[in-house]
Amino acid sequence: MDEWKPNPAVKPHKKRSWYLAWKYKLMNQRALRKLCQTGAVLFLLVTVIVNIKLILDTRRAAYAEEEESAQDYDDEMLNVEVPRHPVNNKKVLDVEVYSSRSKVYVAVDGTTVLEDEAREQGRGIHVIVLNQATGHVMAKRVFDTYSPHEDEAMVLFLNMVARGRILIFTIKDEGSFHLKETAKNVLKSLGSQVAPFLSWRDMWTFVGKKGGEVYGEKHAKSPALSTWGDPVLLKTEVHLTSVEDAECHWPDTELNRRRKRFCSKVEGYGSVCSCKDPTPIEFNPDPLKDNKVFDVPVAVIAGNRPNYLYRMLRSLLSAQGVNPQMITVFIDGYYEEPMDVVELFGLSGIQHTPISIKNARVSQHYKASLTATFNLFPDAKFAVVLEEDLDISVDFFSFLSQSIHLLEEDESLYCISAWNDQGYEHTAEDPSLLYRVETMPGLGWVLRKSLYKDELEPKWPTPEKLWDWDMWMRMPEQRKGRECIIPDISRSYHFGIVGLNMNGYFHEAYFKKHKFNTVPNVQLKNVESLRKDNYETEIHRLLGEAEVLDHSKNPCEDSFVPDTEGRVYVMFIRMEQEADFTTWTQLAKCLHIWDLDVRGNHKGLWRLFRKKNHFLVVGVPASPYSSKKPSSVTPIYMEPPAKEEGAAAVPAVAAAEQT
Amino acid sequence: MQKINRNVVLALLSLTSLVFLLFQLCYYKFYLSQKNGAAFSKVRGSQSSQDSTRWHVVRKFLGLISSHNIPVYLIDPLILGLVDKDIEQIRSSLDGPSPECKYFCAPRDFTTFALLDKTWKHEMGLFRTAEKMGFQWLKIINKDPRLDGMDDLSGMEIPLHYIFKLASHAIHLVVFYERSGNFLWHGPLRLKQHMDRKFVPFRKLHFGRYPGAYEKPELLPVSIDDLKVQIPKNPSGFLEEMSHSRFLECRYREARAFFQLYPDDASLDAVEFRKKAKSLLHLAALTLNNLGVKFWLSSGTCLGWYRQCNIIPHSKDVDLGIFIRDYKADIIPAFQKAGLPLKHKFGKVEDSLELSFQGEGDVKLDIFFFYEEDDHIWNGGTQAKSGKKFKYLFPKFTLCWTEFVELKVHVPCETLQYVEANYGPEWKVPVKTWDWKSSPSNVQDNGVWPVDEWDDVIQIY
Repeated sequence: MDEWKPNPAVKPHKKRSWYLAWKYKLMNQRALRKLCQTGAVLFLLVTVIVNIKLILDTRRAAYAEEEESAQDYDDEMLNVEVPRHPVNNKKVLDVEVYSSRSKVYVAVDGTTVLEDEAREQGRGIHVIVLNQATGHVMAKRVFDTYSPHEDEAMVLFLNMVARGRILIFTIKDEGSFHLKETAKNVLKSLGSQVAPFLSWRDMWTFVGKKGGEVYGEKHAKSPALSTWGDPVLLKTEVHLTSVEDAECHWPDTELNRRRKRFCSKVEGYGSVCSCKDPTPIEFNPDPLKDNKVFDVPVAVIAGNRPNYLYRMLRSLLSAQGVNPQMITVFIDGYYEEPMDVVELFGLSGIQHTPISIKNARVSQHYKASLTATFNLFPDAKFAVVLEEDLDISVDFFSFLSQSIHLLEEDESLYCISAWNDQGYEHTAEDPSLLYRVETMPGLGWVLRKSLYKDELEPKWPTPEKLWDWDMWMRMPEQRKGRECIIPDISRSYHFGIVGLNMNGYFHEAYFKKHKFNTVPNVQLKNVESLRKDNYETEIHRLLGEAEVLDHSKNPCEDSFVPDTEGRVYVMFIRMEQEADFTTWTQLAKCLHIWDLDVRGNHKGLWRLFRKKNHFLVVGVPASPYSSKKPSSVTPIYMEPPAKEEGAAAVPAVAAAEQT
Repeated sequence: MQKINRNVVLALLSLTSLVFLLFQLCYYKFYLSQKNGAAFSKVRGSQSSQDSTRWHVVRKFLGLISSHNIPVYLIDPLILGLVDKDIEQIRSSLDGPSPECKYFCAPRDFTTFALLDKTWKHEMGLFRTAEKMGFQWLKIINKDPRLDGMDDLSGMEIPLHYIFKLASHAIHLVVFYERSGNFLWHGPLRLKQHMDRKFVPFRKLHFGRYPGAYEKPELLPVSIDDLKVQIPKNPSGFLEEMSHSRFLECRYREARAFFQLYPDDASLDAVEFRKKAKSLLHLAALTLNNLGVKFWLSSGTCLGWYRQCNIIPHSKDVDLGIFIRDYKADIIPAFQKAGLPLKHKFGKVEDSLELSFQGEGDVKLDIFFFYEEDDHIWNGGTQAKSGKKFKYLFPKFTLCWTEFVELKVHVPCETLQYVEANYGPEWKVPVKTWDWKSSPSNVQDNGVWPVDEWDDVIQIY
């Protein structure tokens, strides 16, 4: 409509000159003709005026009220514009890379992006990936190639980095001892001249573009076995490419915009950023019929393990019945990369300034996350609590949907957990079976709001108490004799190896062989029997039909349980009083299940599977089920190994890891 | 020479007029000849075209919203005011075409709609469609107040307001959030520095000067002016609620600073007291709300809210204020029915009324009645053994909503003056010993009750 604006301005002049002409001509006796003309002109004039008014009216907002000020609505806070990083507009980056025995650093355009001079730490090859268009750091890794297998991890990582990225390498202390041929070849293919000949305690720096030019390389040979090579400092220039060249050309959709943002910032997530046929970031799993947990908020507790978080969220978002709007990821600390992962999946994330240290820090993070969850979803009666190092079973929400009403109605319940501490490959069998247990397994569980708000939150351990939140929750003062419902086959899988209380050996021994349900839509069996009184009836029925095993055999031997399928067997162990777990711990040890503290018990009874038979263990005489023991059977007693004097103290020492 | 001139002028004029005529045609085609629009295009003149512009913008907006499955409801005070007059008719009317454009054509700059955050998945697709339809839009985001009270959490900023502008009309979409305390909250509208201050006349907006608190409305789908919209079931009730919906956020930052200076009492006793006081407050709020009696946090409870966003653990009671004009005789029986026996009653409705109820486990609920004078407000106190009367003076105040221990309650909007009147300039320093007869800085002697009235004005149970 803008092109019409000049017209009204032109009009009035024309009108006046015509009017004068008309006045003269009226004298000339051509009245009739004039009259017609006048009529026509008048009509035209009216049209013009009406139109002008119309234009003015429709533009009123733009013209008439332009002067309106809106000072009341100014934000009180002065938003200081953050100066953009100068890197953005520059075509050339100055890169400095330093390699030495005790210190490495990398500076890009004068900004230090890596500095490591800590003692006894950061040994090996440091790798930094820069975006070739913006110069931003996309990934930082250190591979301790002095130790075995680390070079394989490095090769894996380098293969995942997209072509065109800028790679910076530098060695701290030693990086060649376990740097195998494959890895050396990969480095060589990146353009390194020195890599194939890297040897003991050499210093080395290298800057190059993946699949492209080499910007610089420096190397200092170690003169003798006992000494290190001289420190090397590489200064070089890197030419930036245009943003266009650095990006993939995915179709322009909402999802791909998120993908683009993510892939321009971080590296090391594999096919999610591949230009051709990238892996999906939206999963649209089948919805659940009659989903009772659709409106239950899901809190994902995370630290700075973005690769874990990525894997975890993928599995969570693929679970049937998931509602992404209810998911909030709570990140302990101001880490960018986990937040990038959260944004990639279009979820909401909240960062938490760390309070306190170690276990207390985790504990404070849990408290803040739970409080925030119930603040954000004030209507919610429950919250699902997950951690960043869990895989989530495809029927996780189906499992909860079928059992959550118990938590609402049965006061004697503490939680519903997706994790069975004793559910290993060889001890779990039935995906439709549920148990009641006196321990709180965590690792994917449901918390009742009233429990949190009325009991736990007000007396949550304060930051100076260095307690594990989960150990605290298991204490009798908190649990008050209440129980948790768990499945026989876990609906979560603990894959984390790097963690506060976690190491490779520990994971291998206690978590790797854990059974994880992969069957969708499992219909749970007889959920009502999990209610407090019904469960006792159920147990008595089970014990009634159970065959008593031969107590003269060694329970650790495979032959202890007959080679049958689908039968119910019972054995009796000695358990003098409620807290006497001497025999149980030995049994758990030889069955290769969780033995670091007592888990999965219900009134002195444990339920698991052996050789596809249901296998019940009753502690006599502490368990109320002891009456089921035939008088001829002597409960089995297993002595703790002699050298482990303090076997009874094991549970306390181990402080069972769950974080 | 003149003849040529005249012809040229005439031709020019005709041409311009013709062009204008063409423009007029296009204009009407653009704005009016769309589906359903015919009804209102009959009326001629520029005023009516303005009116129908509003109608058309609203219609377009509703189309946009429904194409993205976003449930909005109408909260425009002007239109709801008009609607309220004909509410019976509108409720009963069927979907037939309406003869005239009565509501959405009414002169105004904005049409205001509300959106419940949880019913909507934030997505950019909406804005792209809006742009394609010719809307210009503005989004106002700010901090999430639900995380504000939390130590050191920083979430993403949340959208509080949207403005969609088309031609001369704008749609103001207010985003409502659920807060603990079972109510809806909308944020203030504050422009950031880089924002276009002249996008719309912001001062004329009906929502956004202050944050607001509302009950969750019951909605009614209606068809007005041939447009299907949801409106609050009781428009006059909503308008009444709107007139005093101002919300005050607790001063979380100051509360944190306070706890830095005076660490919180985390003893078991304190935890227990807070739990009891909280449940007593919840019970009192429920009882008074059921009676329809407006009340606010007073004295120590108000100080606790203002200073530390929590109940003061050593305060030993819960204090509420009620204007004497809101007094109802039902109050005492209602509390007794709720399981809170009357502990004492001082004064009478005409003078210095004060009620005290016994809550669970030694926690007392004190209700002070406030008397309004021309230039101040006061409440009274009575010493049981001597019959002495006291008067506590406060500067005039109005009431605002706030959230406190998961409850939507009133506090004086001018909280600082209120607290300072009561506790003096040193209110920031916790005091454990407190004498209600002498410690408050606003206390005055107010004579003695006549002895023959004692039975009536001093009742202790």
